[in-house]
Parts: sequence; structure tokens; C-alpha cells
Amino acid sequence: MASLLLFGITWWATGIFSERAARSEALADARGTTLLLAHSVAEPAMPKGLVTGDAGSIDRFDREVRDRLLVGDVRRIKIWRADGTIVYSDETQLIGKKFTLDAEEARVLHSGDTESDLSNLTRRENRFEHEEDGLLEVYTRIVSPEKTPLLFEAYYSVDAVQQRSAEVLTPFRRVTVGALLALLVLGAPLLGVLTIRLTRASRARERLMQRAVESSEAERRRIARDLHDGVVQELAGTAFALSGTAREASLPPEVRAELAGSSQALRRSLRQLRSLLVEIHPPGLNAAGLGAALEDLTAPATSAGITTSVTVDGVEGAPDHVVTLLWRVAQEAIRNAVRHAQASALTVEVSGDDRQVSLLVADDGVGFDPADPASKGSYGLRGLQSLVEDGGGRVRVDSAPGGGTTVRMAVQMTGERP
Amino acid sequence: MHSRTALAAIAFAVILVPAGIVAPAQASHGGDDHGGDHGGVRTSGHCGSTRWELKAKHDDGRIELEGEIDSNRSAQKWHWTLKHNGSTSAKGTKRTGGSSGSFEVERRMTDLSGKDHFAFRATHGRTVCRGTISS
Repeated sequence: MASLLLFGITWWATGIFSERAARSEALADARGTTLLLAHSVAEPAMPKGLVTGDAGSIDRFDREVRDRLLVGDVRRIKIWRADGTIVYSDETQLIGKKFTLDAEEARVLHSGDTESDLSNLTRRENRFEHEEDGLLEVYTRIVSPEKTPLLFEAYYSVDAVQQRSAEVLTPFRRVTVGALLALLVLGAPLLGVLTIRLTRASRARERLMQRAVESSEAERRRIARDLHDGVVQELAGTAFALSGTAREASLPPEVRAELAGSSQALRRSLRQLRSLLVEIHPPGLNAAGLGAALEDLTAPATSAGITTSVTVDGVEGAPDHVVTLLWRVAQEAIRNAVRHAQASALTVEVSGDDRQVSLLVADDGVGFDPADPASKGSYGLRGLQSLVEDGGGRVRVDSAPGGGTTVRMAVQMTGERP
Repeated sequence: MHSRTALAAIAFAVILVPAGIVAPAQASHGGDDHGGDHGGVRTSGHCGSTRWELKAKHDDGRIELEGEIDSNRSAQKWHWTLKHNGSTSAKGTKRTGGSSGSFEVERRMTDLSGKDHFAFRATHGRTVCRGTISS
């Protein structure tokens, strides 16, 4: 379709330029013919006395050149004196008649240039012309044997000039069409091959990205599992042992206090480590555990004194990658709310049906102006958007200064873009 | 074309009026005016023993002028001149030929606006034939 459109535009544009070129070529032909007739036929054959209207000279000139001047598309010949007298014409009734030369004709008579123009058939010197399509007149200067400058004027049928133009244009158009068709025939398969290659490359890139995401996810899982099964267990055991030792009555009080403090510090570190593990990869993140995972995410908000509400409904059967996406978007939105919103209430709702799952995270905080480019960066909205789009979902953020912020996300159950 | 054997000389002048209206022709030096013929004019006369005849016909803004000399003697060399409004339009020499001892000259003249005057002069030795016509 695009190729055909391009073909049409190219055809139209080349048509315009070709037509201009053809018209110009036809005009150049007429000028060339006029120069040839003027300087190779009329001027050498001009007898003395013609310029002064000598009848015998006119007869001789007429007999010698008339048939050689009226060749091809030439419809009329006039030879003018500078005072506007026609000293010769193939229309003998004009010979000896005086008219007014226009400014351009007078200029050519003076300069010796060659000019062309459409004839004004209403002028008296053109009263014998009856061409329906008009006449094109081409004029140049010649010189008589008496060294008198004369204006040689040849008239051509406009229709004949147009035909000549068409003769020039038609082969050019054929060549243009041929070239365009050849380009189309050769270019279309080439474009097809390129499109197929681009599509394949795009799919390969998508697969690569998917693998990278999966690898990253697997790596996070492995790190979380190793930390949970190794370091966390050991730290928990150590904290438990320290607590037990700190209760030994045989130890001096200052030692027990030191051990109790160390045990508490170890438990705080353990909680932080567990929170970090949850952020890296929540254990058992699937549709059934999404509610609990979201509750874990809102725990920091609750600790900060924000009233939180988590509702999950209709996500049974959602694939793990969809659940992961919901959790990651909720994580980012909750983190933003806790860091920037200064909210007193935070609501997290997940609802789904057979087709898609929707997430809503709303706070009643200070909000921001979404049109402000700086706010997008500071609130991590670009990252959020990128995260959702990569996961095949759509996200929308509504906010206003003082009006809180609501993040809505939707993703198809299959993970494809809704 | 300009040099043939001739026996006699003829002078003719013819004017044709556009649109087929033919003006009266005048012949001099003993010419006999015969008037128009098929949109043209024809005139004839004698100069000595030589008979001349002149035919003229209007054709596409031109005048086809045709003169004939009949001297009844072959191989005579004649000098002839055609003038248009007093200016030489054509000239040459011809010899009479054939059993009739005659020759013809034919020229295309421009039909200028206004009245045109034509003169034809042909000489052979002391024989001079001359005719004029105007319209």
C-alpha cells in the first residue's frame, strides 16, 4: 500500500516536472527552428530593395524562400522594419502595412535576442490568423543587405507545440513508469525480506530480554534462598543463644546486659535482613500468597503510622509472572507513598476476572503535578511505567497537589497488553 | 529556363483582384484584350510578325503569370524582362523551339495591396515586344 502510494506520488511529481521540461523543450525547438529559418534561409536570400518595399525584390524573395519558410509547424512569417512596417509576409496583404511594435519586439530588434510569446490575435496585424488554440510567436533579429536591422517573426500553432510537447513527454513517461514499476517489483521483495529480518531480530531481542529477566529473577531467588537458609538461620540461632546466655544468673549483671543488648541488635539486623529478602524476592510469591506479600509491603507504612488497607480478590489462577508484576508495581507505588506522600491512609486493592487483573494503590497525601517533568523523575514514575510496559500491562497515575495520588494498573491474565 | 530558343517576344501584364473579381486588363504595343478566363485574364497581340499571348491567374495570394511567344521560327534567342511596379521581378533569355517556333515564361508574382502594375518586355534583334497591365 505504501509502495503504491509512493508510486503514485512519484508518478504525479515526475509528471509535473516532465511536462514542464517537455513544454520547455518544445519551446526550445520552436526557437531553434526560428533561428535556423531566420539566419539560414531568410537572411542569405534577402535581396536588396526588400527593406524599401521594392515589388520586384518582394517577388524574387517570395519565390525563393516562401516554401522553405513555411515548413513543419510554421503558420506565418513576418519581417518587420523598426518603424513597424511589414516588409515581407507570406500573407501578401500585410506587405507594406504599418503597425506598432510592442516593447519586447523593439527590444529584440535592438539587442538581437530571441524571444517567444503567445500571439494576441485581436491585434490588427493578426487579423488573418484563425487558429483556434492560438499561436506562439518567436522573433529574432536579422539584417538586410543594406545593413538595416529587421525583426524576423515566425508563428507556430500552439496545438502543434503541445503535440510536440506530448511527443517529448510520452517516451519520458514510459521510461518513468518502467523505472518505477521495476523499482516496485524489485523493491517489494527486498522490503519484505528486510521486514521479515527485522521481525525476527525483534523477536530474538524479546526472547533475550525475557531470558535476562528470568535469569535475574532466578538469581534473586537463589540469593534470597541462600541468605534465608544460611545467614538468617545462623543469625537467628546466635540471637537465640545470646538471649539464653543473657538470662544466666551466674553472669555478672553488666555482662548479661551487654549480651541482652547484643541479642536485641542482632534481632533488629535479622528483621532488616528479612525485609530485604522480601524485597529481593518474597518467598512463595504466587496468587494464593499475594495478599500476605502485599501486607508485608505495607508493614513499613503501618510502622510509620499510616492507616493501611489491603484487599485482594479474583486473582485465583493468575500466572506467577502476572502476580510478580502486580507485586513489583505495588511495591514501587507503596514505596513512593511512604517516602513522598506524607499520607495518613494508604489503600491497596487487587481485583481480577477471567480476562485481566487490576491493581489500585491510593493515598491521601500531598500529591504532585503530573505535568511537572521533575515530579516524574522524583516519584519514580518512569521506572514504574517501564516496569509495567515490560510486563505487558498498562499503568495510569492520577495525582494533584494536595489531592493524593492514585496508581492504577491493568494486565491481562496471560500477561499480554490489555 | 532562362535561355531557350525563341521566335517572338510578348509583353503582358495582368492584375487579378482578390475574391475572383478581375479588373479589366490593358495591353499595349498592339495587344488584344480577351478578358477573364476561369478567374484569370488573358490578353494577346502582335509585334511585327510575332504573336504573343499572356495568361494570368490568381492563386493563394499570388498571381501566376504565363506568357507565350509564337514567332513561327525556331532557335531565335530572346531576352525578356518582367517588371512589377517598375521594379525588375524576373529576367532571362529563351530560345523559341518546336514546330511552332514559340516559348513560354511563367512566374509567380506577389499580389500586393493596392494597384499593381506589371510590364513585360522581350527583345530579339531589333524586334521589341512590350506590354503592360495594371489593376
